[in-house]
Amino acid sequence: MSKLLEIALGIITSIGGFLDVGAIATAAEAGSSFKFQLIWAILLGTVCVIFLVEMSGRLAAVSKHSLASAMRERFGFNFYILPLVAEIIVDFLILGAEIGGVCIALQLVTGISFQWWALPVAFTVWLLLWKGNFSIIENGVSFLGLVTLGFVVATFKLRPDLPSLGSGAIPTLPQQDITHYLFIAVSILGALISPYLFYFYSSGAIEDKWDESHLNINRAVAGLGMGFGSVVSLGVLIVAALVLNPRGIQVDSYEQAALILTQTFGYWGFILFAASLGIVCFGAALEVNLDTAYIVAQAFGWNWGENLHPQEAARFSSVYTIFVFLAALLMVFGIDPLQLTLFSMALTAVILPVVITPFLVLMNDQEYVGNYRNGWISNSVIIFTIALAFVLAIVAIPLEILGG
Amino acid sequence: MDLIRDVLDNQLVDRHHRKMGKVDGIIIELRDGQPPRLTDLETGATTLARRLHPRLERWIAALEQRWGAKRSEPLRIPWAKVRQVGIDVEVDLEAEQTTALAYEQWLRNHVIRHIPGGR
Repeated sequence: MSKLLEIALGIITSIGGFLDVGAIATAAEAGSSFKFQLIWAILLGTVCVIFLVEMSGRLAAVSKHSLASAMRERFGFNFYILPLVAEIIVDFLILGAEIGGVCIALQLVTGISFQWWALPVAFTVWLLLWKGNFSIIENGVSFLGLVTLGFVVATFKLRPDLPSLGSGAIPTLPQQDITHYLFIAVSILGALISPYLFYFYSSGAIEDKWDESHLNINRAVAGLGMGFGSVVSLGVLIVAALVLNPRGIQVDSYEQAALILTQTFGYWGFILFAASLGIVCFGAALEVNLDTAYIVAQAFGWNWGENLHPQEAARFSSVYTIFVFLAALLMVFGIDPLQLTLFSMALTAVILPVVITPFLVLMNDQEYVGNYRNGWISNSVIIFTIALAFVLAIVAIPLEILGG
Repeated sequence: MDLIRDVLDNQLVDRHHRKMGKVDGIIIELRDGQPPRLTDLETGATTLARRLHPRLERWIAALEQRWGAKRSEPLRIPWAKVRQVGIDVEVDLEAEQTTALAYEQWLRNHVIRHIPGGR
């Protein structure tokens, strides 16, 4: 029974982990601009992320070392500094965007401009990390994340045409706006295959003291949790395609995205959208901020852990304390949250190769994963994802300039 | 044992498995007519910075002499103190009593404890 409970809890948590401001924004943008034509990008990203999350968990459960520590130990600090610095920069922008998502949600409900909310939101994120422990962060916020199932309900109520949904599962190029289309495709993949998720998930496995007996839970959580998360993303895309696209509304601000649930749920749809956006982004802000503290502390071998009292891990807790307020400044200065989101998702795509390539070595190294090495399927998926990541990394910046 | 793969950059823990940084450097003594001998491990930001770039080492040293715990000397741990080399390197020391945690202790005493809820 407790195993089942643990699996259920883990699945709910990873729905929360999967969804963030990037997943929602890119799916809404994709649906409103290209109807169902980018469904394939969500499906592809989900398959990659399921495999990589499963591996991050397995690595941590067997070796008792997080992905970041293992990368630094196995490849040396002179290599690890690359993904470390890249991830800190990306985390900084994403954290700004997540805080922005919460602020926009508050703006939608209260009418007070998002800039004013940035510091209070950052303070709340910090307070939860400072006073809370890992299971509060992990379970509390992600339970609230179930509110996003509203998108799935709306999808069913709108009765989408199944054959045209199916045709979106196969990649095709549109008649026009090809650069914009490719830019969104790259952003979707960047939003779904997000490195912070792997670092965070493997550190979480260590916080929860996983060992070999948790490998089944790990597999279920990675597969089902990420799968359900992807269903919600698909829901956002489909609803945006059915509600916004026919009216010719392209999502270029969150205010427009807020209309996507009103056709189905009326005024409450507006509230539901604000609540979904706010909760998902708040949860993700906690994770991204904690993730940054994890990778920095693990880079230098400092004591770390959200279950430790701040004074037992002084440097670790200093990192998340400073980082969240710095990232909030992006919003205080009034940078547009949606633009920042799309930009940081494309930037994530640029750093993917250095993060994913080490998986291939670590997941086949007996020192780390013992008898639980990758089989040929997992290895093939990594090799495919590395190839995909290289393509994304090369095209992301030109597309950013041309199509962003 | 492969020094670069198994020792350098690996997690350093004390005898109670408390994390005390990582192995930032390895000291090897060259002797005339005899094989080189592994003498110490080093841990400290300046050692780490030197491996990236000598100029970075000078910057970090200048920063550390002015700020916080004001310690820029790396800690040297005699190889004889090494108990075990796995993925972690375990040494027979008391982390809190060494200078490896100088900045951890400084932040704890000067910053973290003064924030409400930090103690």
